[in-house]
Amino acid sequence: MATKKPEQFDRVDWSELSESGRFDLSINSIGMLVATLPLGLLWLYDYLFVGEREATFQAIGLSRNLDPLDYAFVFTLFLFSFYLVLPLYQNPRMTRYYWKEFRRNRPAVVGLGWLGIVFVGGLVGPLLISAPEQSILTGHQPPVFLTINEANVATCVGDVVNGQCQGTWQHPLGTTRGGKDVFAGIVYGMTISMQIAFITTTIVAAIGITFGTVSAYAGGWVDEVMMRFVDIILSFPTFLMFLLILYIYGAGLGMFILVFSAFAWGGTARYVRSKSLSVAEEEFIKATRISGASTYRVVRKHVVPNVASSIITQLTLLIPGFLLAEAQLAFLGIGDSAVPSWGQLISAGRSDLAFAPWIVLAPGIVLFLTILAFNFIGDALLDALNPEAEAESA
Amino acid sequence: MGFGKYVGARVLWAVVVSLIITTVTFLLLAAAPNPAIREAATQAALQGGDPAAAVERERELRGLNQPLYVRYMDFIQSVYTLDWGWSESRSQPVTEALLQALYYTAQYSIPWTILTITLGPLVGVYSAANMYSWRDHVATGFAFFGYAIPNFFFGIILLLIFGVWFEWIPISYDTSVPVFSLENVRQLIMPVFVLVTGSIGATMRVSRNESAEFQNSDFMKTAKAKGVSPLRAYAYHVMRPTLVPLSTTLVGQLLALFIGSSLLVEVVFGIPGLGRLTFNALVSQDTNLVLGSTLVFTFVAVVGNLLEDLVFTVLDPRINYDDR
Repeated sequence: MATKKPEQFDRVDWSELSESGRFDLSINSIGMLVATLPLGLLWLYDYLFVGEREATFQAIGLSRNLDPLDYAFVFTLFLFSFYLVLPLYQNPRMTRYYWKEFRRNRPAVVGLGWLGIVFVGGLVGPLLISAPEQSILTGHQPPVFLTINEANVATCVGDVVNGQCQGTWQHPLGTTRGGKDVFAGIVYGMTISMQIAFITTTIVAAIGITFGTVSAYAGGWVDEVMMRFVDIILSFPTFLMFLLILYIYGAGLGMFILVFSAFAWGGTARYVRSKSLSVAEEEFIKATRISGASTYRVVRKHVVPNVASSIITQLTLLIPGFLLAEAQLAFLGIGDSAVPSWGQLISAGRSDLAFAPWIVLAPGIVLFLTILAFNFIGDALLDALNPEAEAESA
Repeated sequence: MGFGKYVGARVLWAVVVSLIITTVTFLLLAAAPNPAIREAATQAALQGGDPAAAVERERELRGLNQPLYVRYMDFIQSVYTLDWGWSESRSQPVTEALLQALYYTAQYSIPWTILTITLGPLVGVYSAANMYSWRDHVATGFAFFGYAIPNFFFGIILLLIFGVWFEWIPISYDTSVPVFSLENVRQLIMPVFVLVTGSIGATMRVSRNESAEFQNSDFMKTAKAKGVSPLRAYAYHVMRPTLVPLSTTLVGQLLALFIGSSLLVEVVFGIPGLGRLTFNALVSQDTNLVLGSTLVFTFVAVVGNLLEDLVFTVLDPRINYDDR
């Protein structure tokens, strides 16, 4: 992806173009480095100077602590903004084209809007809303505009009319048995879901692309062995293996992300391999090779950009699986009970379903909508990036 | 390479994969402290004995003081000879516990699988034949709904509506009901419905998109021009090529769902099947039983993948065995 586009072919500054070697950094990489450096320093500071049980920002009076997952999350956010969002801004023509294609699928646009809400809510929400806290006395508060029989609540925050406790704006979606605010729980769950989505995608993409291209370019028995390995990865029962690891060692959210992404890249690797094999046969690759481009350059500048769109689509369709798996584990109550995820909230409300259904319904519907949004977007991306399929449907 | 040789190679590969997964399981177990030993040490300490001696005795009893390779060979041998040990939480051999659980799992898995693999492609092809009609939109909407709604959440909601409010279905599972009876149908209809909605979406989408490709193909035009009836044309000329790409994704997805959802659905509906057995074993720290149920699911997955590949080659005569 060229960063500068000359107006006319004869005004191309060839000396400038031919200078670009392997160590020439694009504006994206410079931005990435500039952004990552403070993060790395902060991590070092956290690792070396801050005590085990102290919050990272205690020195300046903030109580927010950063765990390794937060660092990984911020890092992947930088990666996405410099290598996905920035290039889109740099190529306004292509962006406009993609957007035009994408917009035709209305559910996907709505889905994107919803994911935007979840993303912003997950990033900003925890800073604005305090974490849900236990307060037994105000348990089972109903959502706004709904009521609950007075017998089911210890103290009613709102008014009591005819023996029915009414919901208040203080707890817009009600509270759980322990008095935790459901709305705050959902917002905190957004952070967890976004962390899962971003970090797993990055790991899966990194391993899958590397493995696929190396396998395609190595060829011969190396290729054979690597693809057999992918077969094994694909037939591994990940959910069970995670249960086993959980059983033997105990595992938190970080372990969950690692295990699930370590067994999810098989499909991506297979896809990248076949795609790079077919791209390698293209005329323009031959032309690049004849011009003296190294294999690394061919892969980096031509193969990866050409398969990127399909990988993004595939990853979009992978994320719902991770979110679902996390919710399932949390629901079973055998995951990390300290992680305030949506599944946790669903399992918290299960016993009170008959008279306080909002505890299960609210996070369940949010989870459902999020998974649906990812599926809609994946479907729309498939259509937008595959002109062939579109021609068929027209 | 002929067909027979291909099947042989594929079966051999399945054995290798199962061996690798079993090995990984063994390594995971070997690297971790055994809860039973910890238990023995605690017991000894509580009763005023020497914890170290108790640990040593327990290790010897379980053969853990032997070198790793001996234990490994022993482990592999007992795995493949179905000598899976004694389940302490259920006081019966692991294999027996698993068989009992399988009986209940099969009761809802079989109708579920049959419904998915028959209804899915049928609805998919039907919706491709009526593309962009309201029927197609309804089917697509249903597919997305079923695909996106978490099975356990859907199960809870259905239990609440039909079990608690309307009282049409029993809330708890009754094991004393005979298999082929109306009561059994009534208590299994919701789990089967939940699982079918979860799995049918993907099947419908794939078969719809794949068969759309064959709708306007030359062989379809020829068939129509010859005067082949629409039913026959769709059954022979559209359905068959559609099933080939479908079969590659179908088994994998069904298996993933089987492993993940059977656990959840069984917990939600209280069915004492394999998933619930695994869950209970995890909670009660019954290592042998955890291992046994993991192995069952693993073998189901491996055999499923094997069958998928074999069906694939039988269905599509165009596949060349030389490039696997």
